Formats: sequence, structure tokens, C-alpha cells
Amino acid sequence: MTPRKLIALTRAGIMESLQFRLGTFVTLFANLIYLVLVYYLWKAIYASSGTDVVNGMTFNDTMIYLILATALFNFLEMFIVWDMSRSIQSGKIILDLLKPMTFRKYTFWSYSGSHVVSFVLTFIPTFVVVMIVTKGAIHMGLNLLWFAIATVLALIINFNIEMIVATICLYTESTWGINIVKETIVLLLSGASIPLAFFPDKLGTVVRYLPFRAVYDTPLSILLEKNGSDTISGLLSLFGMQLIWVVVLTIAGTLFWNHSVRKITVNGG
Amino acid sequence: MEKNKRGLGFYLRIYRKVLVQDLKSKMSYRADFVISTIGMIMTNLAGFITFLILFGKFPSINGWDYHHMLFLYAFSLIALTPVQCFFDNNWNLRFMVQSGDFIKYCFRPINVFFYFISEVFDVKGLGQLAFGVGTLVYAWNKIGLVVSVPIILKLLLYLLTASLFMIAIMNAAAATCFWIQGSGYVMVIMFRFKDFAKYPASIFSGIFRVIFTFVIPIAFVAYYPSLVLLDPGNVPLLSWISPALGILFFYLSYKFWMLGVRRYDFTGS
Repeated sequence: MTPRKLIALTRAGIMESLQFRLGTFVTLFANLIYLVLVYYLWKAIYASSGTDVVNGMTFNDTMIYLILATALFNFLEMFIVWDMSRSIQSGKIILDLLKPMTFRKYTFWSYSGSHVVSFVLTFIPTFVVVMIVTKGAIHMGLNLLWFAIATVLALIINFNIEMIVATICLYTESTWGINIVKETIVLLLSGASIPLAFFPDKLGTVVRYLPFRAVYDTPLSILLEKNGSDTISGLLSLFGMQLIWVVVLTIAGTLFWNHSVRKITVNGG
Repeated sequence: MEKNKRGLGFYLRIYRKVLVQDLKSKMSYRADFVISTIGMIMTNLAGFITFLILFGKFPSINGWDYHHMLFLYAFSLIALTPVQCFFDNNWNLRFMVQSGDFIKYCFRPINVFFYFISEVFDVKGLGQLAFGVGTLVYAWNKIGLVVSVPIILKLLLYLLTASLFMIAIMNAAAATCFWIQGSGYVMVIMFRFKDFAKYPASIFSGIFRVIFTFVIPIAFVAYYPSLVLLDPGNVPLLSWISPALGILFFYLSYKFWMLGVRRYDFTGS
């Protein structure tokens, strides 16, 4: 597989995403309002708690964490489950399966373009705004590099979760149900809706070993230098956990997909 | 002229017929139905866990204790049931509009909005209703509110009011797809906004208090209507007039939706 072909897919994805410029603008605006809601809620929570630091998180930490989690959510969001169910219904999936590369690879790289666009158009602006508003609450150093690596790993883990869920849908004919279960679990257990630092001890310990945490909490912890990621050993253990999940989920996802692809039934089409 | 003769009875008869067809077709995908119901229960459980985690760390929010917050939460769940059960087809609107299939609704001699919305009845919303009712009864007992016929009637009236606001929000969000391509995210984010309906609107201040009351009226999805029951001695004017406002918002969202349909007609796409 030459990189040229992969880059061509990325480029096509970029151009496709840029088609919906107004849509991107609307997304940004809607996010802004959403973050206002988050801001007021946590402001009230911290005001009622009577202390400034809860579980090692100040109000500022919590806000930065949640804002960047939202930006990361937009950046990582994939619609593989929906796209696959639609392309099975229309029969388009046959064409994708006939492509001269594996389906998983094709899917991953055709999404890469929209990831690039949303990274540049939503994540970077959000990050810059957070940096300016908080006046240096985010340390500018090597942690940025580690964050970038962790984000790429998170992207791969997220892709694998999506692919596995989409494969399950081949059997159940229930897209909405499976998808909502996935979304609920990921949003809750990854720390995207409540920072993992606030989880009760026992639940928190279990959640720390699950793959969902590696999608949002790990990159954000590394960026904010929390959870011991400011030490080499802490950093290594976070990366190690991510890598293990990348390997496990990639192998599991590939096997599962290769086994299931024969089951695809397209009615008519 | 003939249109004027069609009263409520006519539309109710049609609704019953369309509903029966929809349920029949749903029953043929039994696995999907079961999984979707499980998915719905999972989202409610996740919402509840989020709530418990927050209250595990923070005993009160803005002067609202655990049981009052629980009441508000349950109230919002019940108020969100009608939009889930009766107006779920709004989620399909953008695909229909984009693919051109929407035109079929314009050719029937009945109200386009009614025909489109009546096509889907979402049974799994009933699980949420049960969850909400159970929680409401529990919170009601714990707070020690009185039970009497007028109070129950009041409860029903204000639940209905609250749901009108959510229906209005989702109608308007769905209708944006007539103007903006790729506006699916507006619906997704509005649906996420509803998660904030379960917190007291008193946490907002300044301009955003106005916005979340009159522009994106999530303050009416639980807070204002439930004050009538929670704090009968001290009900703000906005709570009393919320039924009228609910009807107004619903009417406006309907007009906006229909405006989109007319635009769709004219483009002839």
C-alpha cells in the first residue's frame, strides 16, 4: 500500500468536509453555547461546595478539561456505525468491499480527512481561546508533544471501538440501539461528561483500566499534567495502557470484522 | 375549502391508522426493538449515575438539595417523553430533505407537519416515562409534598407545558436542515442541551439567563413549571404563564418548520 493512495483518501475527505462550511460554523456556535451551559453548572457546583479544590481539580482545571473534552469529542466523532448501516441498506458497501485495500483501512483513511478538518477548524481554535482566557493555565512544553501522540492513539482506539460496534450491527439489524449504548458508555466512562477525578474511588479504579478512558481522559490528563503524567513513570503507564488497548482492539476488531463480513446480506440493492 | 371541514376527529383517526402501521412494521424487527429499549434504559441509567456521582461529591447545588434535584430530574424525564414518543421522526427529516424523499409528504391532502410527524411513534420512550414516574414518586415522598386531586391536575398541566417547550426546541432544530446542509449537529447539540434542563435555571445569570429562558427555553423544560409544585407559596410569574408561553413556542416552531417546507417546495429539489 503506497502512502500516496492513503493521502488521496485523506484529501478527498478534506474536500468533502469543507463542502459543509456553514455546517462547521453552526457546530462551532452550538458548541460555544453548550460550553456556556457547562460553565454555569460547574460554577454553581463549585460555589456550593465551599472549597476551591475538589479531588485535586480546581474550577479552572475542570473547565479546561471539559472544554477540551468537548473539542476532542467533535474531533474524534465518527459516524461509522450509521454510514455502514446506510451503505448496507443501499448496497453501496459492495463497492467499498471491492476496493483494492482492506475495508478497515479504507474506512480509517477516508475518515482521516474530516479529522484533519475538524482538528484545524474546531480543536485548534478552541485550544487557542482556552489558552488566552486562562492565561497560561496550560503548561507549554513537552506535554504538548505527548498530548499529540496520545490523541493519535485515542483516535485509533476510538476508530476500533466504532468498527467493533458497527460489526455488531451486522448481526442485530439495530443501529440506533447499539449506537446509543456505545455513545452512553463512552461518554460516561471516558470522562467526557464528568472528569474521571470526580468518580468514587472504586468505580474510578475500574474505569481507569477500561479502553474508554484512553480516548478522552488520557490525552487530557497528559495535556493538563494531571494523574502523575508529569513524571516519566506516570507518563509511561498512561501510554502503556493506551498502547495495550490499541493492540488488543485492533486485533480483536480485525478478527471480528473478517469473520463477520461474510455475513453481510444486502437485500436487493 | 374542504380543508376547513377537517377537524380534530379526522386527524385523530388518521393518526391511529398510521400508528398501527408503524407499530406493525416495528414488531417485525423484534431484535431491534429489544435492543433499542435496552439502549434507552442505559441512557437513563447513565444519566442517573452522572447525577449520583455529582451528588456524591457535592451535597447541594445552588441551594437545591438531593431530593429537590431528584424531583427536577424526574420531572424533566417525564416532560421529555412526548418529544421522544411522538416527534421522533424529526431526526429523519434531514435525510429525507437531502435525498429528496421529503417531497412525498407534500403531495398528500393533509397537513405536511402532521403527516410527517405521525409516521413514527417511538415505543421505547415509554421506558423513560416509567423511569421518570418512579423517580418522581420517590422524590415526591421524600420531600413530603401533599397528594390531592387539584395538585395532580396541576402536575399534569405543567408536565404537558414543559414538554411543549422541548417539542418546540426539537422542531426548530430539525427545521434548520431546510436551510443549512449538514445541520445535523444542531439537533444533536440541542438534544444534549436537554441534559441541563434538570438543573435549576437559577444557576444562570445575566444575558444567558435570558437566552436559556426565552431563546433556547431549557429553563422551561423542568425548572419553571416544577416550581409551581415544589414551592407553591412563592411561584414566579414565569411559572404561572408558562402554559401560554409553551403554546406560543410550539406554534412558532411549527410556523418555522412549515416555512422550511415552503422553501423546499420552491427549490423543487
